[in-house]
Amino acid sequence: MSVLLHHKGSPGFGRRAAILAVAASLLLAACGGGGGGGEGSSAPAEFRIAIGIDPDTLDPAGQTTTTVQNIVDYMVDTLVDIDKDGKLKPGLATDWEVAPDGLSITLTLRQGVTFHDGTPFNAEAVKFSLDRVLDPNVTVPIRGSYTVIQEVEVVDDYTVRLHLSQPSPALMAALSTTMVGIISPASVEEHGNTYTNYQHPVGTGPYVFKEYVPGERVVVEKNPDYWGEEPYYDRVIFQVVPEAATRMSQLLSGQVDMIILPPVSDIPSLQQNPNVEVLLAPSNRTIYIAINNNDEVLSDKRVRQALNYAVDKDAIIQNVLFGAATKLDAPMAPSLFGYCPVGAYEYNPDRARQLLAEADVENLTLDFIAPTGRYVQDFQAAEAIAGYLEDVGINVTLRTMDWPTYVQNIQQPPDQNDLDLHLLGWAPGYLDAQEQMVQFQLAAHPPNGLATAFYTNPEVEDLLERASREIDVETRADLYCQASRLIMDDAPWIFLWYQSFPIVYSKDVTGVSYLPNEMFDAVYARPAN
Amino acid sequence: MKGTLQYITRRVLTSLLALVGVSLIVFIIVRVLPGDPARIIAGLLATEEEVERIRVAMGLDRPLPVQYWDFVTGLLQGDLGTSLRTRRPVLVELVPRLKMTMLLATTGTILGSLLGITAGVVGAARRYTRLDYLLSSGSLVGISMPVYWLGYMLIIVFAVNLRWFPAAGADEPSSIVLPTLTLAAFSMALVARMTRGSMLEVLGQDYIRTARAKGLAERVVIYRHALRNALIPVLTVIGLQFGSLLGGAVLTESVFAWPGMGVLLVNSIINRDYPMVQGIVLVYAVLVVLLNLVVDLAYGWADPRIRYD
Repeated sequence: MSVLLHHKGSPGFGRRAAILAVAASLLLAACGGGGGGGEGSSAPAEFRIAIGIDPDTLDPAGQTTTTVQNIVDYMVDTLVDIDKDGKLKPGLATDWEVAPDGLSITLTLRQGVTFHDGTPFNAEAVKFSLDRVLDPNVTVPIRGSYTVIQEVEVVDDYTVRLHLSQPSPALMAALSTTMVGIISPASVEEHGNTYTNYQHPVGTGPYVFKEYVPGERVVVEKNPDYWGEEPYYDRVIFQVVPEAATRMSQLLSGQVDMIILPPVSDIPSLQQNPNVEVLLAPSNRTIYIAINNNDEVLSDKRVRQALNYAVDKDAIIQNVLFGAATKLDAPMAPSLFGYCPVGAYEYNPDRARQLLAEADVENLTLDFIAPTGRYVQDFQAAEAIAGYLEDVGINVTLRTMDWPTYVQNIQQPPDQNDLDLHLLGWAPGYLDAQEQMVQFQLAAHPPNGLATAFYTNPEVEDLLERASREIDVETRADLYCQASRLIMDDAPWIFLWYQSFPIVYSKDVTGVSYLPNEMFDAVYARPAN
Repeated sequence: MKGTLQYITRRVLTSLLALVGVSLIVFIIVRVLPGDPARIIAGLLATEEEVERIRVAMGLDRPLPVQYWDFVTGLLQGDLGTSLRTRRPVLVELVPRLKMTMLLATTGTILGSLLGITAGVVGAARRYTRLDYLLSSGSLVGISMPVYWLGYMLIIVFAVNLRWFPAAGADEPSSIVLPTLTLAAFSMALVARMTRGSMLEVLGQDYIRTARAKGLAERVVIYRHALRNALIPVLTVIGLQFGSLLGGAVLTESVFAWPGMGVLLVNSIINRDYPMVQGIVLVYAVLVVLLNLVVDLAYGWADPRIRYD
């Protein structure tokens, strides 16, 4: 600006100054732009992934979002891992044994593993990491899954024993989550980290943290001393790109190698595109409509079942979600332990009308709210569902609002809560029915939790309580199956679908897979040739 | 000069008052919005116990006046607070993003102004010819085109198909081209219309008639005599345009994943990151105040008829 003010009175001052300014800003852009992609002499092999959110923290303990966990998993290992089907397999623990009384778990640790900072991985490090997760001074939003651990005992250098306050068969699954990833104890005092503010993760993973530029990217580099199979790429760059259409453009223009969550409506055309591969990974996120079970009319099971019969889920999945979901036939997704197929409510508007008549329901008006842009085609699906409900004679008023307002509304305590229907998605933190069934328990009714349908059934409560302590795997699975059948019949929700997690990558790349909890598995990606 | 100094001092003092008002308003507004930052940041899977713990750690359980006092005393020491989402200082998060937005707004304004002034001058000089109508229609299209649409059109043509430029991000020097073009389109249209109108008005003045009567070449008349005076109101528009681009580049920043302040502000509102929203709005307020001051001074300097006292 000041350049314009200086050249008083000379002819064409505006033009000259402007040219100077343009040159200056182009120079600025060139300097500020930084290095380009992997061009140049022996360039490191780079794999670029475009994701939709800017990480809030890279501290494993502080994780709340699967996409960020996905990134942290490149650097930090867990005691156990899960495979594509959700089954547990050894990670940093090679073996584990649950005591007969269920009150302790003994883990045998992998030997010869070092952290990125050269310190050895051992039982002390495991104790340090787990103690830290349980430490109330550290911010751990998902701590609840681990508080059953009373004490972490170092038996010897490579043996750890977890002492529990009660038997917890779900705990082993919970130990596969990033939140209990094992970090180097020394690292809480390095790289600007503190015990409570841990921004630079140091783990045992296949990649080492290089840099995080907020709002732009996270960069990790290959760990030369990794204990497992060596990945191909020297460097992985996670680019922060909030707009789905932009992510897709970047893939199509070759700027990135892989993206997640493209615009759903573009999935069919991407599937036709010979240059990219579309992977519709099944996820653990159930999408449903919570019915207010406290409401006078809606407390009648027949009405709730009618709502379930009234909606044509297959049609919505095909036409509104472009096939990126699978109809629910149980109160949880198949990848969870404890899943058993109960059977879906098939589309049957006549049966719906019949049930409504039996329940003496006439001129029913329902207040329906749904978020926008939170889940795949959430509001669009809600509009379709409202249409189906209108078809069987129910008046529906549909509203939307921004997410924090939405959460506040659905979490109103029972005496202030007069919502009738609201759409929600629930993805348990680990693949065990315990984390899903919490949605059907009294203890989690608002304001104490997010079981926002206010559903409770004493029989179901009893089955779930027993299942949470049952060590025998088969018995436990059966308990959850029985509970699932009761819940399905009680229809506290309109059971919709579980989402697919779309991963799209360039045909020049292979070795891209997924995990069934909304995560991509691309550590072993490599060029296709 | 003394009058100007007094003028500046008065403006600075009233601006400070305005900024105090802004700080209070933004503090209140952001807390009036429904929604609990602790629950949003912790996510749905967190237990109420953890959410409460986080709420306390964020200081959100304290009475509002205490929170405001904290905010203001921090401000006076140059501390804009800590982001609720990332627990990093607001200033540390903000400064790089501000630089990126300033960069984009600057190049967008400069390109748009250059093109706009040129188009406006040509349109005025060749008034009512086909060229003039073409430029005028172009201006109309430019003002009406949604940024969101134009941005993606440019990406499809120049990034996906031609591969001349990156589709998004700010990693390479050439990353700035497409977002700048997108911003410049609107800017240019606005400036062109202003310039044309202003030029026509000036060209109708007596002294222009005199210059022509003196036998000066048309080119000299336009560039040496008319343009300088016509540009005065245009300068104001450009300055204000720049100010609005600082805030309004949000759509362009979203489309091109340009790591600017606009996107940060929108996300912070969505996440109810109170300190972040407060910090960004305050920074914008300071920038707008400064910008207005500069524009007014520039106007006063450029036009000798105007004196501030």
